Amino acid sequence: MLSGKVALVTGSSRGIGRTIALKLAASGADVIVNYFRHREEAEQAVADIRQMGVRSQAIRANIGDAAKIEEMFAEIARDFGRLDILINNAASGRPRSALDLDTKVWEWTMDINARALLLCAQQAVALMGPEGGRIVSISSVGSSFVLPQYAAIGISKATLEAITRYLAVELAPRGIAVNAVSASLVATETGLLYARGGKSDEEAPIPMPPAGRLVSTDDIANTVAFLCSEAAAMIIGQTIVIDGGTSLAALSPR
Amino acid sequence: MSTTEDTIKDIVVKIVHCERDILKPEATFQDMKADSLDMVQVLVALEDEFGIEIPDEDAQKFKNFGDFVNYVETKVAEKKG
Repeated sequence: MLSGKVALVTGSSRGIGRTIALKLAASGADVIVNYFRHREEAEQAVADIRQMGVRSQAIRANIGDAAKIEEMFAEIARDFGRLDILINNAASGRPRSALDLDTKVWEWTMDINARALLLCAQQAVALMGPEGGRIVSISSVGSSFVLPQYAAIGISKATLEAITRYLAVELAPRGIAVNAVSASLVATETGLLYARGGKSDEEAPIPMPPAGRLVSTDDIANTVAFLCSEAAAMIIGQTIVIDGGTSLAALSPR
Repeated sequence: MSTTEDTIKDIVVKIVHCERDILKPEATFQDMKADSLDMVQVLVALEDEFGIEIPDEDAQKFKNFGDFVNYVETKVAEKKG
Protein backbone atom coordinates (compact mmCIF):
# COMPACT_ATOMS: atom_id res chain seq x y z
CA MET A 1 0.00 0.00 0.00
CA LEU A 2 2.85 2.41 0.83
CA SER A 3 5.54 0.62 -1.21
CA GLY A 4 8.14 3.01 -2.58
CA LYS A 5 7.15 5.73 -0.12
CA VAL A 6 9.55 7.22 2.39
CA ALA A 7 8.26 8.13 5.84
CA LEU A 8 9.83 10.06 8.70
CA VAL A 9 8.42 9.43 12.18
CA THR A 10 9.78 11.87 14.77
CA GLY A 11 10.32 10.46 18.24
CA SER A 12 9.94 6.85 17.15
CA SER A 13 12.42 4.98 19.33
CA ARG A 14 9.58 3.94 21.65
CA GLY A 15 5.93 4.35 22.57
CA ILE A 16 3.39 5.64 20.05
CA GLY A 17 6.04 6.71 17.53
CA ARG A 18 7.64 3.27 17.45
CA THR A 19 4.30 1.56 16.82
CA ILE A 20 3.53 4.01 14.00
CA ALA A 21 6.98 3.45 12.45
CA LEU A 22 6.48 -0.33 12.48
CA LYS A 23 2.95 0.01 11.10
CA LEU A 24 4.07 2.16 8.15
CA ALA A 25 6.93 -0.26 7.48
CA ALA A 26 4.48 -3.15 7.52
CA SER A 27 2.52 -1.26 4.85
CA GLY A 28 5.65 -1.16 2.69
CA ALA A 29 7.15 2.27 3.41
CA ASP A 30 10.82 2.93 4.06
CA VAL A 31 10.95 4.50 7.52
CA ILE A 32 13.33 6.98 9.08
CA VAL A 33 13.39 6.68 12.88
CA ASN A 34 14.11 10.04 14.48
CA TYR A 35 15.12 9.94 18.12
CA PHE A 36 16.85 12.15 20.64
CA ARG A 37 17.59 10.55 24.01
CA HIS A 38 17.19 6.80 23.36
CA ARG A 39 19.80 5.52 20.91
CA GLU A 40 19.61 1.83 21.84
CA GLU A 41 15.85 1.73 21.46
CA ALA A 42 16.06 3.62 18.14
CA GLU A 43 18.57 1.11 16.81
CA GLN A 44 16.28 -1.71 17.89
CA ALA A 45 13.35 -0.08 16.07
CA VAL A 46 15.47 0.23 12.91
CA ALA A 47 16.46 -3.45 13.17
CA ASP A 48 12.81 -4.47 13.61
CA ILE A 49 11.78 -2.37 10.60
CA ARG A 50 14.51 -3.78 8.36
CA GLN A 51 13.23 -7.28 9.19
CA MET A 52 10.17 -6.31 7.18
CA GLY A 53 12.28 -5.91 4.06
CA VAL A 54 12.19 -2.11 3.82
CA ARG A 55 14.91 0.49 4.29
CA SER A 56 15.30 2.13 7.66
CA GLN A 57 17.72 4.52 9.28
CA ALA A 58 17.93 6.20 12.67
CA ILE A 59 18.62 9.93 12.75
CA ARG A 60 19.36 11.66 16.03
CA ALA A 61 17.96 15.18 16.31
CA ASN A 62 16.46 17.37 18.99
CA ILE A 63 13.48 18.68 17.07
CA GLY A 64 13.17 21.55 19.52
CA ASP A 65 16.26 22.97 17.79
CA ALA A 66 15.70 24.55 14.36
CA ALA A 67 19.28 23.94 13.23
CA LYS A 68 19.06 20.23 14.14
CA ILE A 69 15.85 19.91 12.12
CA GLU A 70 17.65 21.33 9.07
CA GLU A 71 20.51 18.87 9.54
CA MET A 72 18.08 15.96 9.82
CA PHE A 73 16.35 16.87 6.56
CA ALA A 74 19.70 17.37 4.81
CA GLU A 75 20.54 13.79 5.81
CA ILE A 76 17.17 12.55 4.54
CA ALA A 77 17.65 14.39 1.24
CA ARG A 78 21.12 12.90 0.85
CA ASP A 79 20.27 9.31 1.82
CA PHE A 80 16.69 8.94 0.56
CA GLY A 81 16.30 11.78 -1.95
CA ARG A 82 12.64 12.27 -1.14
CA LEU A 83 9.99 12.19 1.56
CA ASP A 84 6.33 11.24 1.18
CA ILE A 85 5.09 11.01 4.74
CA LEU A 86 5.94 13.12 7.79
CA ILE A 87 4.62 11.88 11.13
CA ASN A 88 5.11 14.62 13.69
CA ASN A 89 5.02 12.58 16.88
CA ALA A 90 7.92 13.61 19.14
CA ALA A 91 6.73 15.42 22.24
CA SER A 92 8.02 16.58 25.57
CA GLY A 93 6.85 18.61 28.51
CA ARG A 94 6.79 18.93 32.24
CA PRO A 95 3.82 18.76 34.60
CA ARG A 96 2.77 22.34 35.29
CA SER A 97 -0.34 24.25 36.21
CA ALA A 98 -0.86 27.42 34.17
CA LEU A 99 0.22 29.66 37.05
CA ASP A 100 3.46 27.69 37.51
CA LEU A 101 4.30 27.64 33.80
CA ASP A 102 7.58 29.55 33.51
CA THR A 103 9.20 30.71 30.27
CA LYS A 104 11.74 27.88 30.31
CA VAL A 105 9.15 25.12 30.32
CA TRP A 106 6.95 27.11 27.93
CA GLU A 107 9.71 27.47 25.34
CA TRP A 108 10.90 23.88 25.69
CA THR A 109 7.40 22.48 25.28
CA MET A 110 6.25 24.82 22.52
CA ASP A 111 9.45 24.35 20.50
CA ILE A 112 9.22 20.55 20.58
CA ASN A 113 5.46 20.01 20.50
CA ALA A 114 4.28 22.84 18.24
CA ARG A 115 7.03 24.71 16.39
CA ALA A 116 8.63 21.45 15.25
CA LEU A 117 5.56 20.66 13.14
CA LEU A 118 5.88 23.98 11.35
CA LEU A 119 9.63 23.67 10.77
CA CYS A 120 9.54 19.97 9.83
CA ALA A 121 6.63 20.56 7.45
CA GLN A 122 8.48 23.40 5.72
CA GLN A 123 11.45 21.09 5.15
CA ALA A 124 9.36 18.03 4.30
CA VAL A 125 7.29 19.76 1.64
CA ALA A 126 10.48 20.59 -0.26
CA LEU A 127 11.20 16.83 -0.48
CA MET A 128 7.68 15.84 -1.55
CA GLY A 129 7.14 15.24 -5.26
CA PRO A 130 4.27 16.22 -7.59
CA GLU A 131 2.24 13.22 -6.33
CA GLY A 132 1.89 15.00 -2.98
CA GLY A 133 2.22 13.50 0.45
CA ARG A 134 0.91 13.24 3.97
CA ILE A 135 1.64 15.05 7.22
CA VAL A 136 0.08 13.63 10.38
CA SER A 137 0.71 14.95 13.90
CA ILE A 138 -0.02 13.34 17.23
CA SER A 139 -2.00 15.62 19.51
CA SER A 140 -3.77 15.08 22.82
CA VAL A 141 -7.27 15.69 24.16
CA GLY A 142 -5.52 18.04 26.60
CA SER A 143 -5.62 20.56 23.73
CA SER A 144 -9.38 21.07 24.18
CA PHE A 145 -9.99 19.76 27.70
CA VAL A 146 -8.27 20.70 30.92
CA LEU A 147 -6.22 17.96 32.58
CA PRO A 148 -4.39 18.28 35.92
CA GLN A 149 -0.87 19.76 35.66
CA TYR A 150 -1.15 19.64 31.87
CA ALA A 151 -1.05 23.35 30.95
CA ALA A 152 2.33 23.27 29.23
CA ILE A 153 1.54 20.32 26.99
CA GLY A 154 -2.16 21.07 26.52
CA ILE A 155 -1.48 24.60 25.27
CA SER A 156 1.26 23.38 22.93
CA LYS A 157 -1.05 20.71 21.52
CA ALA A 158 -3.76 23.31 20.85
CA THR A 159 -1.16 25.26 18.88
CA LEU A 160 -0.18 22.09 17.05
CA GLU A 161 -3.79 21.59 15.94
CA ALA A 162 -4.03 25.21 14.73
CA ILE A 163 -0.80 24.83 12.73
CA THR A 164 -2.27 21.63 11.26
CA ARG A 165 -5.31 23.54 9.96
CA TYR A 166 -3.27 26.35 8.40
CA LEU A 167 -0.81 23.98 6.75
CA ALA A 168 -3.69 21.80 5.55
CA VAL A 169 -5.40 24.53 3.54
CA GLU A 170 -2.11 25.83 2.14
CA LEU A 171 -0.90 22.38 1.10
CA ALA A 172 -4.15 20.78 -0.10
CA PRO A 173 -3.76 22.13 -3.68
CA ARG A 174 -0.41 20.31 -3.86
CA GLY A 175 -1.94 16.98 -2.91
CA ILE A 176 -0.46 17.06 0.56
CA ALA A 177 -3.03 16.13 3.21
CA VAL A 178 -2.27 17.48 6.68
CA ASN A 179 -4.12 16.12 9.70
CA ALA A 180 -3.75 15.31 13.37
CA VAL A 181 -4.74 12.44 15.61
CA SER A 182 -5.66 13.31 19.16
CA ALA A 183 -5.62 10.70 21.86
CA SER A 184 -6.74 10.47 25.44
CA LEU A 185 -4.53 8.53 27.83
CA VAL A 186 -2.53 5.99 25.83
CA ALA A 187 -1.19 2.85 27.49
CA THR A 188 2.52 3.71 27.20
CA GLU A 189 5.17 4.05 29.88
CA THR A 190 4.88 7.86 29.78
CA GLY A 191 1.06 7.83 29.60
CA LEU A 192 0.63 5.56 32.59
CA LEU A 193 3.16 7.53 34.61
CA TYR A 194 1.10 10.69 34.00
CA ALA A 195 -2.14 8.91 34.91
CA ARG A 196 -0.64 7.81 38.22
CA GLY A 197 0.42 11.34 39.09
CA GLY A 198 4.10 10.71 38.38
CA LYS A 199 4.29 7.67 40.66
CA SER A 200 5.14 4.29 39.20
CA ASP A 201 2.55 2.58 41.43
CA GLU A 202 1.14 -0.23 39.32
CA GLU A 203 -1.75 -0.75 41.73
CA ALA A 204 -3.19 2.77 41.31
CA PRO A 205 -6.53 2.52 39.49
CA ILE A 206 -6.87 4.28 36.13
CA PRO A 207 -10.37 5.28 34.97
CA MET A 208 -11.37 3.43 31.80
CA PRO A 209 -13.00 5.05 28.73
CA PRO A 210 -16.61 4.00 27.95
CA ALA A 211 -15.12 1.59 25.39
CA GLY A 212 -13.80 -0.42 28.33
CA ARG A 213 -10.06 -0.28 27.80
CA LEU A 214 -7.29 2.29 27.44
CA VAL A 215 -6.32 3.54 24.00
CA SER A 216 -3.39 1.49 22.70
CA THR A 217 -0.50 2.59 20.53
CA ASP A 218 -1.98 0.32 17.83
CA ASP A 219 -5.23 2.31 17.91
CA ILE A 220 -3.24 5.45 17.10
CA ALA A 221 -1.01 3.77 14.50
CA ASN A 222 -4.01 2.28 12.65
CA THR A 223 -5.63 5.71 12.27
CA VAL A 224 -2.33 7.31 11.24
CA ALA A 225 -1.86 4.59 8.59
CA PHE A 226 -5.40 5.24 7.32
CA LEU A 227 -4.71 8.99 7.07
CA CYS A 228 -1.57 8.14 5.06
CA SER A 229 -3.57 6.02 2.61
CA GLU A 230 -5.20 7.10 -0.65
CA ALA A 231 -8.60 6.37 0.94
CA ALA A 232 -8.14 9.39 3.23
CA ALA A 233 -7.14 11.86 0.50
CA MET A 234 -10.11 14.18 1.13
CA ILE A 235 -9.63 14.46 4.90
CA ILE A 236 -7.91 17.84 5.19
CA GLY A 237 -6.88 19.68 8.34
CA GLN A 238 -8.86 17.55 10.77
CA THR A 239 -8.02 16.37 14.24
CA ILE A 240 -9.37 12.86 14.72
CA VAL A 241 -10.10 12.08 18.37
CA ILE A 242 -9.28 8.58 19.58
CA ASP A 243 -10.42 8.33 23.17
CA GLY A 244 -12.80 5.41 23.45
CA GLY A 245 -15.61 7.88 24.23
CA THR A 246 -13.92 9.53 27.21
CA SER A 247 -14.46 13.17 26.21
CA LEU A 248 -18.11 12.69 25.16
CA ALA A 249 -18.90 10.97 28.44
CA ALA A 250 -17.10 13.55 30.58
CA LEU A 251 -20.34 14.79 32.15
CA SER A 252 -21.79 11.33 32.73
CA PRO A 253 -21.75 9.90 36.26
CA ARG A 254 -19.03 7.22 36.54
CA MET B 1 41.14 23.30 37.16
CA SER B 2 40.68 21.90 33.68
CA THR B 3 39.20 23.95 30.87
CA THR B 4 36.58 21.27 30.35
CA GLU B 5 35.44 21.56 33.95
CA ASP B 6 35.27 25.35 33.64
CA THR B 7 33.16 25.12 30.52
CA ILE B 8 30.83 22.61 32.18
CA LYS B 9 30.44 24.96 35.14
CA ASP B 10 29.59 27.84 32.78
CA ILE B 11 26.88 25.73 31.18
CA VAL B 12 25.38 24.46 34.44
CA VAL B 13 25.32 27.94 36.02
CA LYS B 14 23.66 29.41 32.93
CA ILE B 15 20.92 26.77 32.74
CA VAL B 16 20.32 25.84 36.38
CA HIS B 17 20.93 29.36 37.78
CA CYS B 18 22.86 27.95 40.76
CA GLU B 19 25.87 29.51 42.48
CA ARG B 20 29.14 28.57 40.79
CA ASP B 21 30.75 27.89 44.18
CA ILE B 22 28.49 24.92 44.93
CA LEU B 23 29.72 23.02 41.86
CA LYS B 24 32.12 20.76 43.70
CA PRO B 25 32.62 17.16 42.51
CA GLU B 26 30.42 15.80 45.29
CA ALA B 27 27.54 18.25 44.62
CA THR B 28 24.35 16.35 43.82
CA PHE B 29 21.64 17.59 41.47
CA GLN B 30 19.51 18.27 44.53
CA ASP B 31 22.29 20.54 45.81
CA MET B 32 22.08 22.38 42.49
CA LYS B 33 18.27 22.43 42.77
CA ALA B 34 18.17 21.11 39.21
CA ASP B 35 14.90 19.57 37.98
CA SER B 36 14.62 17.00 35.22
CA LEU B 37 14.19 19.62 32.49
CA ASP B 38 17.30 21.43 33.71
CA MET B 39 19.18 18.16 33.43
CA VAL B 40 18.06 17.49 29.87
CA GLN B 41 18.97 21.03 28.87
CA VAL B 42 22.40 20.71 30.48
CA LEU B 43 22.98 17.43 28.61
CA VAL B 44 21.93 19.04 25.31
CA ALA B 45 24.19 22.04 25.90
CA LEU B 46 27.16 19.79 26.79
CA GLU B 47 26.58 17.70 23.68
CA ASP B 48 26.55 20.79 21.47
CA GLU B 49 29.54 22.37 23.20
CA PHE B 50 31.80 19.30 23.09
CA GLY B 51 30.41 17.53 20.02
CA ILE B 52 29.68 14.36 21.99
CA GLU B 53 26.59 12.25 22.60
CA ILE B 54 25.35 11.50 26.10
CA PRO B 55 22.65 8.81 25.85
CA ASP B 56 20.04 8.57 28.60
CA GLU B 57 21.39 5.15 29.54
CA ASP B 58 24.64 6.87 30.59
CA ALA B 59 23.10 10.07 31.98
CA GLN B 60 20.96 8.08 34.42
CA LYS B 61 24.13 6.87 36.15
CA PHE B 62 25.35 10.38 37.04
CA LYS B 63 25.02 10.98 40.78
CA ASN B 64 26.89 14.25 41.21
CA PHE B 65 28.75 17.00 39.42
CA GLY B 66 32.02 15.04 39.50
CA ASP B 67 30.41 12.17 37.52
CA PHE B 68 29.39 14.72 34.90
CA VAL B 69 32.88 16.14 34.53
CA ASN B 70 34.56 12.70 34.45
CA TYR B 71 32.13 11.46 31.81
CA VAL B 72 32.54 14.48 29.56
CA GLU B 73 36.34 14.47 29.93
CA THR B 74 36.46 10.77 29.00
CA LYS B 75 34.20 11.31 25.98
CA VAL B 76 36.20 14.31 24.79
CA ALA B 77 39.46 12.34 25.19
CA GLU B 78 37.96 9.40 23.23
CA LYS B 79 36.95 11.79 20.47
CA LYS B 80 40.44 13.25 20.22
CA GLY B 81 42.07 9.80 20.49
